[in-house]
Amino acid sequence: MAANWAERIVAFSRSPSVFLSGTTPEAFLDELLRELRDDRAAYSVKVLLLCPLCEYPALLCPSDSVGEETALELMSVFLHCPPKFMQFRCQLLLALTSVLLCSSCLSSYSSASQEFLDLLLQIVQDTSDLHANGSPSLRATACDCLRELEACCPGLLSQRLELLCGLWQRETSRLHQAFAGLHMLALRNAVYLLSHETSAGVDDLKALLGGNVAWEAEQNSGPLSKKNPAVLSPLILGPMGTVPTLQTGQDCKELRSVLSSLLEESYLLTPLCQAAVLHRLTEVVAMVPGVPPAIFRAQLLRLFGTSEVCLLHSTLLMKSAFTDSLFSVENEAFILKRLLMLSQNPLVSTPEKLFYMDCILHFPENQPISCCDDEALPVLLTPRLAAVLLPTMFNDSATMLARLNLLSLVYLEEGEQGEGEEGGGLAYLYDHLMSLLSVVENQGSREMVVTFFRAAFLFLFHFCHVERYSNSLAEKLSTLYMQHTQLATHLINLADRTQERLGESGWAVRLLRTLQRGVTEAPLAQLTLQALSCHLKILARAAEEAEICQQRTLDFLFSIIRSSSLLCASGNWRLGNSVLDVCQRLLMHPSLDSLLIPLANILQHLTRYYGDTDIQDHARFYYTLLTTLSQEKLAAVLGQGATEGGCPATQHSLSSIVAESEGLTRVLTIHRTHEPVLRLVEVDSPTARQETRRRESEVKAERESCTALDAYRAQFDDRGFASEITLCYRLSHAESCHPRFDQLFSIRLHFDNTDDHYGELSDISVPCAFREHPAPTVRLRLKPRRPYPTTLHSSAIFTSQDGLSWHTVLPDIHVAFQQLFMPLPAPPACGKRFNLSVFEGLWAEICRGTEERVLDDCATSLFCSQMEDSALEALADKHFLPYLVSDPSDEDEHKVLFFLPPQSHVLLKVRRGSDAVHVHIATDSCQLLPHITSFLLKITSSQQDIYS
Amino acid sequence: MSLRALWIISQEKGENVSIRFSRRFSTVELRAKNLAGSSYVAVPEESIFLHFLLTELGLADPHKSYVALRDDCLHRHRSPALELHVDGPGKGVLWPVLAILQGPLILACLPLVDAPAEPRPPLASLLSVSQGLTLLAGLQTFLLSSGSKPDSEGLASRLAMLPSVLLQVCPLGTPLDVPQLGAPATSTVPPPAGNQKQPAWKTGLHRGRAVVNVALTEMVRSMQYGNQSKQDLWDVYGTVTCKCEVEGVLPNVTVTLALPPNGSPLQDILVHPCVTSLDSSILTASSVDNCDGSAFSGPYKFPFSPPLEPFRLCSYTSQVPVPPILGFYQLKEEESQLHLSVTLKLHESVKNSFEYCEAHLPFFNRDQMGNVDVKVSSGQLEISKEKNLLIWVLGQKFPKTREVTMEGKISFSGPVPGPTDPLCTKLTAYIKMYFKVPDVTLSGCCVDQHSVQIYSSAKPRIVTSRELQSKEYFIWNSTGAAPVSSGHMIL
Repeated sequence: MAANWAERIVAFSRSPSVFLSGTTPEAFLDELLRELRDDRAAYSVKVLLLCPLCEYPALLCPSDSVGEETALELMSVFLHCPPKFMQFRCQLLLALTSVLLCSSCLSSYSSASQEFLDLLLQIVQDTSDLHANGSPSLRATACDCLRELEACCPGLLSQRLELLCGLWQRETSRLHQAFAGLHMLALRNAVYLLSHETSAGVDDLKALLGGNVAWEAEQNSGPLSKKNPAVLSPLILGPMGTVPTLQTGQDCKELRSVLSSLLEESYLLTPLCQAAVLHRLTEVVAMVPGVPPAIFRAQLLRLFGTSEVCLLHSTLLMKSAFTDSLFSVENEAFILKRLLMLSQNPLVSTPEKLFYMDCILHFPENQPISCCDDEALPVLLTPRLAAVLLPTMFNDSATMLARLNLLSLVYLEEGEQGEGEEGGGLAYLYDHLMSLLSVVENQGSREMVVTFFRAAFLFLFHFCHVERYSNSLAEKLSTLYMQHTQLATHLINLADRTQERLGESGWAVRLLRTLQRGVTEAPLAQLTLQALSCHLKILARAAEEAEICQQRTLDFLFSIIRSSSLLCASGNWRLGNSVLDVCQRLLMHPSLDSLLIPLANILQHLTRYYGDTDIQDHARFYYTLLTTLSQEKLAAVLGQGATEGGCPATQHSLSSIVAESEGLTRVLTIHRTHEPVLRLVEVDSPTARQETRRRESEVKAERESCTALDAYRAQFDDRGFASEITLCYRLSHAESCHPRFDQLFSIRLHFDNTDDHYGELSDISVPCAFREHPAPTVRLRLKPRRPYPTTLHSSAIFTSQDGLSWHTVLPDIHVAFQQLFMPLPAPPACGKRFNLSVFEGLWAEICRGTEERVLDDCATSLFCSQMEDSALEALADKHFLPYLVSDPSDEDEHKVLFFLPPQSHVLLKVRRGSDAVHVHIATDSCQLLPHITSFLLKITSSQQDIYS
Repeated sequence: MSLRALWIISQEKGENVSIRFSRRFSTVELRAKNLAGSSYVAVPEESIFLHFLLTELGLADPHKSYVALRDDCLHRHRSPALELHVDGPGKGVLWPVLAILQGPLILACLPLVDAPAEPRPPLASLLSVSQGLTLLAGLQTFLLSSGSKPDSEGLASRLAMLPSVLLQVCPLGTPLDVPQLGAPATSTVPPPAGNQKQPAWKTGLHRGRAVVNVALTEMVRSMQYGNQSKQDLWDVYGTVTCKCEVEGVLPNVTVTLALPPNGSPLQDILVHPCVTSLDSSILTASSVDNCDGSAFSGPYKFPFSPPLEPFRLCSYTSQVPVPPILGFYQLKEEESQLHLSVTLKLHESVKNSFEYCEAHLPFFNRDQMGNVDVKVSSGQLEISKEKNLLIWVLGQKFPKTREVTMEGKISFSGPVPGPTDPLCTKLTAYIKMYFKVPDVTLSGCCVDQHSVQIYSSAKPRIVTSRELQSKEYFIWNSTGAAPVSSGHMIL
């Protein structure tokens, strides 16, 4: 079982959705909790069981009531767990924190969360928890739980600041770190909350630190009072951010002394905690003008020299908050130089170098000029300083691109100020780009190729206006392409992107024109089919540009289709299509008039000689269009397919005339919807069940000769008898789906089982579904093999109004246990007495079966519940009425019979005992017992909720 | 200042990819949801995440030459934080995903953006990013023990320890520390009752004789072109590693680095967080703006309170006047043969006593070596098994003249083509030097045994050592085009 659990937990965390399709969250949660309570289970396994609760609490405890129950369960497990299983107990605290926070129990102040909070506070104060160094400590874990609770519910601990401060001050073991972090966060949140109180001042601050009740009284509505939802949003620091302030005057010695001692001891914290504490301290000092930023000064040198990225980062954030009130101009220049140095230090890892370069581009200047969040160079960064970051061939891709970007910004700025030194720097960058190009030329790796094109884009992005470089780059790229035609897609991508971003520069057109020239001027003799396919892609892209003269392309096309050995005779459909693709774009070219005759010749040649009928047909069609339609009409007809690109919004039809264009494939393919479009909503329909009853085969019950039970049983000789359950659903639109899906046609619903308890379901067709019309009803016929709750995957294929076909996934259908209940399928002519006799017969048989252990599957059980009379009656009315076999007027005992296809029965005798309601259960299928119990639990608890 | 999730993935060049470990921090995710509001993008399930991560890292579909999502030239592939474009039901951009690739492992995490999501805050404003980087680097060291090729068993056992490790260093998504390598030292004792707080980074206390070990290692890098048009480059960087076994909760130790009288100042000094205070003059010299000669040149005092495990006390760089070995490499293509001549000179200031010294001459984009007719004035010559690399083993000493030469011809007539390299085409070729000289530093920097001060009762044992190693030490063929290694020098 243990191994099995390990596998199951792995399967769950790999994909909770797939895992839960085989069971339900409730069932899985039940299993987990049962195993956790089980004394025989090993603690090593129990630790594993807590993982799903820690990682996916919201999935397993979808409501706060489930969260609350789960938390209470876990708490009792915690209290019963022997202290020696430290790791398990720590993990339990984490699971409890996760469950209570994620099921929003904590924000609603539930009793479990109160209890848990008390437990945590008790643990952190328990100094008897001595532990060996290195092993997990319960107190440390409890501290982190408190910290997380405070982080998620700011202000939760604001009234316990004195306690936390004391714990932190007294602690001499390594645990002081946990207390420092917790205390600091609680202090920061408390000051933040206080700064939002309109009349708060120095006395409130004192009260806060001293745990004085005066302020507490005001806060009685609870730390999470709904008054201030902004509490959750963080405090943004920096000259651009707005920092709430707490006006205290100069008199805040208490706060100052707490902050100073936290600061003094920050050295004793690990770099990660130190960075966090420093950041929180920065926030507090920024909020309280009464405390001068100078309290940080003693720490600065130590932080400036650090090799730890997070410590230097917290210093930068400090600088961003305090600017020249803490950092002099010399400091600023110094920090910038440190960043430059760290960005290229051989002992710093690549991700950290990239981070430091990012920090340079978002340098917190004392007097920032611009206020945009975009990348900008600090004023102090001179080209001379930045030169240490010039890209080289020995950089890895990311570093090289980051350096290229930074230096481009440097030289761009310099170029604007005058041509002085600019030549050198820019020339270096261009030379560097050329070195990259030569690597690509020499069969550089795939990564190098991609890096080169990214570098080229970056260079153009900044220096497209420097024509001597941008023109030369276009030429070089063209030369490169002619040697490496497989780079066609990369070049087209570069052309597309530069056109998008730098359209007005016309560089993309220049590149494409150069490429077109290169392709068309190359000798045909050495042309391979592969290269030709790439050339055609380039020419097709070039043909999209109105400014590029297409005469060369036409000449090229003509010569390749004429040299029959190469193309026409081969009848290669793909290449033929590529040729047609170029032709199609030429048909839309504004200069079509001048291209008419040569293009017609090409199309005619293809029609006659191309070795593939499909291509011939398309060519003929284009020819007809070309020779009969005016240019405007032609552009309009063909433009439809091309202009739409990726946005499938407008009308489409199968008569689209664009060969192998996106348009045609789009109509022919089934698209996937991104969001659910349809859903099935359960309808509680007695008609469905009646219908099933009507379908039951007629049995001539020979009442005189047989007992009722035999007669009832005889019906099952017919194999199809009462073997189906029909569930009714409405097929409705999902709440927020695209208006395109308002009218759907030819919907075909498909269902998949997630287990083998049911037979396969047949597809269901629905002619149409309109959003504004009543939703059509869908009847789902389930053929149970075993009547267990299940989940069905469902999907649908349909046609939208614009003629496209779509595939969409519907939300899973959960079939609950009670949905499988059917009344006793008695022969039609039989009355109440018959049902009662069958009940008694079955009851006796099951009881005998269990006592004598002859019938393995039989089981009896008893379920008790505290309930008032009225509640019981309401319960019976609501849940049992259709299945009642006893006289409804008999209030002492209700006899209820659930029939579950194919052949299971659940019999209930519900009696009112002296202290509780007793439900005696008998069933001929003992595997159903857990489901029955959870069903009863559910209905009785919901009934209690109503009446309590 | 927290992480939403953490993943550890193993892969081999984009293939055989699997998630070896993952952890989601549900409460941080809850905060992410509250903070981001409508622009919240949930962390996708493992397989989906993996697909998008590999795409963004350029590792997906390794056999396809162009994949639009992966290879678009617009991608900002220069930030430490990746953007994953998640489609499907939870559509949106998952940002900022941090990833470290080392050897077979990808370590990734998703820091919480604790600022309004729109407009996207700069990376530099999120402390969780640098914390994420620190934790990932710590996990990397823990899993790979700083080598890039762990044995699979070692890795598996480290991965199995992760749940309990994370329970201590990052229980609820807020990183508190980086994992400690190995068990704490055996001779640790519980802290005595006293007022002094034990540093959180100190896993226990030492009891026994005080031993302090200070090791100084200098790495020398060089690019030599033997060409008037390109300036030769070399630089040195050093690290001081300490292992201190000293009694007390917060013992004071001071290590002092000293330079010879005319030594150039140590630059770019970075110190370990256990250093208690620094003099501002120590930090002034920087390689970024080779400042004036009046700069402070020691002694460099580092007062600190040591952790139990070995640690890097500080690092520095230094501009030294000469490279330890000056080389000259010349290749000439003669018909089907390559005529080569090499001269290596050991500088007189460097002690002529190596632990090892080798010169490697690889040949790319050619067939395998056939006839090798090469003579050396000293040392032995070896040819690699693959027949594309000449290894000149110089041994422990240069001859008295401190100069060695190699002369000869190689024909590339082997039956199989050798390895390719996009950089080393035609006559672009290099010699890479591998050497180690014990008891020497190029900068002249040293730690005097007597300068190590320990404020404790017992007389400590102090061991100091130093050594010089080569790192990226290239001598380029002077007749070929060689790549520039630093733009700084060119401009």
